[in-house]
Amino acid sequence: MKPDCGVVLAAGEGTRLRPLTQNRPKPMLPAANRPILEHVLETLVEAGVGELVVVVGYKRDRVQEHFGPTFRDVPIDYVVQDKQLGSGHAVLQARATVDGPVLVVNGDRVIEASMVEAVAKRFATTGSPALALLEHPRAHEYGAVRLEGDRVVDLVERPAEGAFRLINAGIYAVDEALFDRLETTPRTDGELGLTEALAAHIDGGGRLEGVVTEGLWADATYPWDMLVLSRAVLEANRASHAQTSPGVHVAPSASVHETAVLEGPCVVGPDCEIGPGVALGPNAALGRNATVGANAIITDSLVDVDTRVGAGSTLIDCVTGQDVALGAGTTVAGGPAEIAFHDRVFHSAALGAVFGDRARAGGAVTAEPGALVGPDATIESGVVVGGQVPPGARVVR
Amino acid sequence: MVDRLMQGLSKLEYRGYDSAGVAVTATERNRVGVLKRAGELEELRQLVSDREPLSGTVGIGHTRWSTHGPPTDGNAHPHTDESGRVAVVHNGIIENAPALREELGGDGVTFRSETDTEVVPQLIAAHLAAGRDPEAAFRAAVARLEGSYALAAIVAGTDAILVAREDSPLVLGVTEDATYLGSDVPAFREHTDQVVYLHDGEYARVEPGGFEIADAAGDPVDRPPETVEWDPEETGKAGFDHYMLKEIHEQPRALRQCLQGRVDERGGQVSLPEVANLDPARVHLLAAGTSYHAAVYGAWLFRHRGIPAQAFYAHEYAISAPPGDDALVVGISQSGETADTLSGVREAQRRGAATLAVTNTVGGTLAREADEALYIRSGPEIGVAATKTFAAQQTALNLLVLSMAAGRESRAVIASLRDLPGDIQRILDESAAPAVAAAFETAPAYFFIGRGLHHPVALEGALKLKEISYSHAEGFPAGELKHGPLALVTEETPVFAVVTGTDEAARKTIGNVKEVEARAAPVVAVTDGQSDVKRYADHVLQIPASHPRVAPILTNVQLQLVAYHVARRLGRSIDRPRNLAKSVTVE
Repeated sequence: MKPDCGVVLAAGEGTRLRPLTQNRPKPMLPAANRPILEHVLETLVEAGVGELVVVVGYKRDRVQEHFGPTFRDVPIDYVVQDKQLGSGHAVLQARATVDGPVLVVNGDRVIEASMVEAVAKRFATTGSPALALLEHPRAHEYGAVRLEGDRVVDLVERPAEGAFRLINAGIYAVDEALFDRLETTPRTDGELGLTEALAAHIDGGGRLEGVVTEGLWADATYPWDMLVLSRAVLEANRASHAQTSPGVHVAPSASVHETAVLEGPCVVGPDCEIGPGVALGPNAALGRNATVGANAIITDSLVDVDTRVGAGSTLIDCVTGQDVALGAGTTVAGGPAEIAFHDRVFHSAALGAVFGDRARAGGAVTAEPGALVGPDATIESGVVVGGQVPPGARVVR
Repeated sequence: MVDRLMQGLSKLEYRGYDSAGVAVTATERNRVGVLKRAGELEELRQLVSDREPLSGTVGIGHTRWSTHGPPTDGNAHPHTDESGRVAVVHNGIIENAPALREELGGDGVTFRSETDTEVVPQLIAAHLAAGRDPEAAFRAAVARLEGSYALAAIVAGTDAILVAREDSPLVLGVTEDATYLGSDVPAFREHTDQVVYLHDGEYARVEPGGFEIADAAGDPVDRPPETVEWDPEETGKAGFDHYMLKEIHEQPRALRQCLQGRVDERGGQVSLPEVANLDPARVHLLAAGTSYHAAVYGAWLFRHRGIPAQAFYAHEYAISAPPGDDALVVGISQSGETADTLSGVREAQRRGAATLAVTNTVGGTLAREADEALYIRSGPEIGVAATKTFAAQQTALNLLVLSMAAGRESRAVIASLRDLPGDIQRILDESAAPAVAAAFETAPAYFFIGRGLHHPVALEGALKLKEISYSHAEGFPAGELKHGPLALVTEETPVFAVVTGTDEAARKTIGNVKEVEARAAPVVAVTDGQSDVKRYADHVLQIPASHPRVAPILTNVQLQLVAYHVARRLGRSIDRPRNLAKSVTVE
């Protein structure tokens, strides 16, 4: 029996993406110009799923308001995970809502329908839990998997470099027995991972099918990864609107001045206003109702919903949150940057600057490469801003 | 059949009701089966599952909101004649019911309910007894009625539903294998998006094979179905605890829809083709309830741009309209079915005035009857307390004024309108309303003050709190406080002061805040932080800075959240407050 229900894990904040996650969970951050989670739900529906269960927690209003009670006519049940105690714990919250085998995917990673279909099909033919696998050159950075034939024999988190080539792609087909297994798997530091339950299933002599898949598989760990993710989605032509020329997607309700130049891949969301002489793209995504003043240049950047970019600004390798206002002549000259972040130093990150939700910059603000401006921060005119600006801070000359 | 009727009734729960019932029959029966109960739909559901199953090929159901006679099992619809052969459901008011009851009583008919409706099945039965066929009997009965009605009747031994409409909404839903009938589209929206609206004075006969519409003279009317665009996906709570909370959170989306394709910030232009031909010398805005507060706001916007304008309670306007036949009369009603607003607009039309509907309901009575319609595009609103539709009415009225009287400020106003979705999202993300509600949930009374454009916000803030928390709340123009209401202000009554900007209105309102402070009343300031009102406030509800004409849309969102959280803490029935209906289709 093919699983008809998709369980999507969308309760986590994604703390390593702060300050972008101040007001919404990671699955609601944009991949190009719509939320990652929207890509995920679309994939499940394309794969034929007839029922969706979305596990929500952190800032769940944002998820529920965005999707409402159905997605593409497929009903959504929302299940609340109050404390984020691991993927296994999240799946258990859905147990009372589902009936029979389910597909489980992460809500914060863009995947392809063919991967979901392959896992569902394998489960249907073998009757055993199944897991999608991917070949990955840096398997040691992920959950790695050893396969014998079609059978997964080992699951290892962050193994030694070079020891593995296959990773767990985070797409599962599981049945009632696995829910039972989850109930009895001991928690580690209070948390319960889905892979721990699968490992226990293997250790108990159970069969776990491994399905080697390929295709688009993209997520973001740090703020600058948002640019890589958006680029992957744009290059895969998964922007939400029809193309007006090759690689250029413009929503019908957007207003683009006739002298603006759009270079693909790029996407302009609904209700946007693009002024005269603007140069947009390649790899630029504008969320809904963004406003770009005359002669601005936006390249390799993600400009989120309701943001205003002042006339004559230059944004390269720039990520803005929602409702950001950048004054005229804002300059974000692009990466690479050296960024000290969460007790680590990242060398040559391709990041010009990040502006958190509702950050405000006066005129002629210049961002040094790698600047991380917190939400609600105000940068006064003429300031050269660098490093990390805390949320709500005011930076003066 | 009964399941489907129950399903339809549950979709109409949002309109508010105090009792419910269903009736079913088929050709081989000599009585109709009726089940009805006062109270929640759940009571009826229990009754349905306890009793012998009712079966049949035609059925009618009803949720009642009492006007004549208290909510009891006996007064619930459907009503039947003495023999139990005819069952009728009715919305509206039969104004000559007392006379008809007396007349029928004189013929020996015994009435079992106190409703105006019961005269209808009794009249039909009398005509059946006189040898007429069911359809002729129905028409003869309807011909005797004065007042407003949407009627549906079934007669045992037939498999038709007989329908008539006068001044009460009625719509048919069309599919290949069934025909649905409802007072509003959500009742059957999950089965079809093909609908046919019945007009006043028309009859319809709905049968298993389809339906026929006839006009008052009995001539057939051929009306092709229209497609309704509302998505059924918008009719679930989607994980929110209440529809009202969901709808508060939907405001950014609702306003995006309202603005889409209508504003050009770069050019400073608003385009509303639907009102392009209107160039009024003066404007009268008619509405009731929350929509009236939008009307007060809209009137201020017109006057500010030099167009004489006044807001009226539609029910007052209908009985004593002011002079001014050259006025454009704007009727504002979310549902487009508000009887009071319709009667005000009809009175204006009778006098030859041009009319404009500002409504959320495409194809609703107000939109059809007014000369032009400006849609606020909010999508369905289920919570009885209007939230997103008020914000969209305010937004649409701004667009209306900008399109009729552009000026130097237009570009700045349009920029602020385009910033609204993000600004409201900020309020939703950061509001201190839950803490304010926790601080004052047990207050004996709440007062709201605002000046100029914030006066209607004060009125609406108070109305929202009254409606869903059942607490005493009043809104005043800030300057009026010292002329009387100040006597009610004590250290236990919080005063919500709506103050934005630093203009004269703000300065004077702050003066009023000081009067209140001197009486030791707790003060909650709803402000953009530009003035120093925070110095005098115990709590602050912050909004982002916006254009003065647009700021009242934002301050209102904070007060919606206060009302919601107070009601929630008090455990009120937030989506269906007592005694209230979503769309008030009686005068």
